[in-house]
Amino acid sequence: MNRRVAVTGIGVVAPGGIGSRAFWDLLAAGRTATRGITLFDPVGLRSRIAAECDFDPADHGLDPDLSRHADRYIQFAVVAAGEAVRDSGLDTDAEDPWRVAVSLGSAVGGTTRLEHDYVLVSEGGRRWDVDHRAADPKLHMAFSPSTLSSVVAEQFGARGPVQTVSTGCTSGLDAVGYAFHTIAEGRADVCISGASDSPISPITMACFDAIKATSPDNDDPEHASRPFDNNRNGFVMGEGAAVLVLEEYEHARARGAHIYCEIGGYATFGNAYHMTGLTSEGLEMSRAIDSTLDQARLDPTLIDYVNAHGSGTRQNDRHETAAVKRSLGSHAYDTPMSSIKSMVGHSLGAIGAIEVAACVLALKHQVVPPTANYETPDPECDLDYVPRNARPRKLRNVLSVGSGFGGFQSAVLLTGPGGRTR
Amino acid sequence: MSTERPRRAVVTGIGVIAPNGLRADAYWKSVREGLGVLDRITREGCEDLPLKVAGEVRGFDPSDLIEEPFLVQTDRFSHYAMAAAQLALDDAGLVHDGPEEPFSIGVVTAAGSGGGEFGQRELQKLWGQGSKFVGPYQSIAWFYAASTGQISIRSGLKGPCGVVASDEAGGLDAIAHAARGVRRGTGAVLVGAAEAPLAPYSMVCQLGYPELSTVEDPDRAYRPFTSAACGFVPAEGGAMLVVEEESRARDRGAAVRAVVAGHGATFTGASRWEESREGLARAIRVALDEAGCAPEEVDVVFADALGVPEADRAEALAIADALGAHATRVAVTAPKAGIGRAYCGAPVLDTAAAVFAMEHGVVPPTPNVFDICHDLDLVMSRARPAELRTALVLSRGLMGSNAALVVRRGDESAR
Amino acid sequence: MITTALTFDELSTLMKQAAGVTVDARELEKAPDAPFTTLGLDSLGLLGIVGELENRYGVALPTDAERCKTPGEFVDLVNHTLRTGV
Repeated sequence: MNRRVAVTGIGVVAPGGIGSRAFWDLLAAGRTATRGITLFDPVGLRSRIAAECDFDPADHGLDPDLSRHADRYIQFAVVAAGEAVRDSGLDTDAEDPWRVAVSLGSAVGGTTRLEHDYVLVSEGGRRWDVDHRAADPKLHMAFSPSTLSSVVAEQFGARGPVQTVSTGCTSGLDAVGYAFHTIAEGRADVCISGASDSPISPITMACFDAIKATSPDNDDPEHASRPFDNNRNGFVMGEGAAVLVLEEYEHARARGAHIYCEIGGYATFGNAYHMTGLTSEGLEMSRAIDSTLDQARLDPTLIDYVNAHGSGTRQNDRHETAAVKRSLGSHAYDTPMSSIKSMVGHSLGAIGAIEVAACVLALKHQVVPPTANYETPDPECDLDYVPRNARPRKLRNVLSVGSGFGGFQSAVLLTGPGGRTR
Repeated sequence: MSTERPRRAVVTGIGVIAPNGLRADAYWKSVREGLGVLDRITREGCEDLPLKVAGEVRGFDPSDLIEEPFLVQTDRFSHYAMAAAQLALDDAGLVHDGPEEPFSIGVVTAAGSGGGEFGQRELQKLWGQGSKFVGPYQSIAWFYAASTGQISIRSGLKGPCGVVASDEAGGLDAIAHAARGVRRGTGAVLVGAAEAPLAPYSMVCQLGYPELSTVEDPDRAYRPFTSAACGFVPAEGGAMLVVEEESRARDRGAAVRAVVAGHGATFTGASRWEESREGLARAIRVALDEAGCAPEEVDVVFADALGVPEADRAEALAIADALGAHATRVAVTAPKAGIGRAYCGAPVLDTAAAVFAMEHGVVPPTPNVFDICHDLDLVMSRARPAELRTALVLSRGLMGSNAALVVRRGDESAR
Repeated sequence: MITTALTFDELSTLMKQAAGVTVDARELEKAPDAPFTTLGLDSLGLLGIVGELENRYGVALPTDAERCKTPGEFVDLVNHTLRTGV
């Protein structure tokens, strides 16, 4: 079975604005949402900046239990899913619940809450034999990452396949990819899919400090995330969530839903090279891109935009540039490729879904979001990175790519109206 | 429609690191004998916690199989996974000096809790000494994707790699994920799960599960389907399988040990065990349907066996709902009563046991269980010889997932 | 100013502890220009060693430390920093 899969709803919780409208306004304006960390006191850290969400659960009608007890990343997901389901016009009560699936990704899940409670039970890191009496009785909710999809499934009455995906920084792309397969192969008709992470906590910041992956530009946070720029010096941590309603194409048509675009293909490969390192050739990411194009039987020259992983580390941006050139050939030079991490930071597992959401909105508005802060070309990164300003463009086929710790290399192809010309 | 025979996903290798055995054959011997290995937890720092009994992996030296640099940068859960993966590859006769076609073999694991012990050590450095004491491996050891990434790197496997971070049922979802990948075109997938939830802080995190057994007598702590059922006991370890495209396996002369024939997954809410009846029954029907298998063809059921009265009842009823009259005749077993539940690793261990059971024509018993209060033919006390062609493996997660997997004997002709 | 210096013995111990890489100190001494990568030490391993030394001596090592390609280069740079403070 190989059914068509439509995107019918979209919801976003991102730095710089909650809701897909605010998110798109930020991208279209090329504004950056990176700033000094306010969620905790970052004194002593090498990188003390992040892209934070101004998020108050009380503003979003969450039920009191979720509002008080759920981890921040779960609250993000519930709010984004709520927006996506409303946007899709889907009446979840009228759907066959066994045909509604959930596929959500997260790289670090409940880590922030786990760290918070760890401090309480260990007397501030002094004891190995932690004292359980100081722990929150609901701590198991943070321990198990499946809580994410479980809570969202509960909220929307989904009873079909419910899974949490955790492939590091490609979690969001892979969660959408798994959802695509779930519908295309007939295991569900609707899938609430996306990803969420709220990793801005001492342990997560410290662990990226330890490998010097994050930018130390603490004095100028607004310009710290500079993907593809020759003076880039690491990524800026972010947080947030994005959720898409994916739906079997005829199912969406039958209920008269607005169809944003279709998922044209998805692929992932491992680089089997290094947990954090990337080759300069980009062979495996290129393979993922080629595979998605094959699935859609799409010629590479018909790609209109590449939404890059573009984390802003030296090796990532070089790796990715090489991968895209390998797959698109000389067409790569004519294809805009931008990184929204320049504006919303790198929210680890969530960002892949946020970037797919950006692609859906780019198709909707027929505008390519820019790479903010891009000033100085890097001789090794010589593509069109859409510096600073959004650019109107005819968009039909759009590709989103990502790389994750562990060697994951993933690609998702979106096809808008008029796309997928075979 | 193409007349080409559909691609089938078959099991060609099994690797196990479990509390009752450090290789697949040792594990199967213990399972077949119904050996119970639940015992007092001995890990440092766990002495004063109210959780006293678990299935610990003991006598395991990862350096027998895995090189030191891989061990330094990973948690115990990845040590188990890497070791089980190597054993599975050896068993399947795959990848000795790097694969010839690296993109044709992928890696998929399920993870329920990640590298908790490693994480606790680094948290202690951070909060006890300062952020500069956090080491470079924290960023790659604690997260749920660690095992998939390291296995892929260590063995040079570049095929589709994935991680389902679901709870117990995720172990079956991972196997299904691998099988679908194979049906879509991947040559083979190294798939499974291994967990290491027995570190002090990880144990504290589990104390909130209402289903957790804190009974201190190892023989009484986990007795599913009995009137004395008092919850489940956690365990560590797990299993990895090589799931391979059938003709590829046959062409290279590998033994086809079983066919991954069908899978179903549903969700009925965290700890709402009564409702899991309907969810599990539906998952079974979906799995049988995908396998093209009639209920009467199921020869043995590896039960989820949570050990919570309500959940046990729901499972017994779900089997009855899905299999009809056959439910009272089919042999049911729960080897995990002797080793505990290794979260995502548990149903993968059960799947491994199911393959061995079909190969040996014997249903292993359910340790520590002597009389049951549900209408099931639960195999107790000693193994029961039986011709087994089709096994049904069931699993439910504490956060509400239900899954069923149908595995069939490898010599069964294509349907 | 710190009077101690990093020896190949200590580097060998650190490589074992921080990265699980076993190399005899005499070998390091004999072939100080053998690249870390051929000895089995990757970038994360070297970062771990740099972090350990910084914590041990309470000084910040220059960024070049983690970019050193060989044991000889690394020992020279560390000892220069320990001697001069820059």
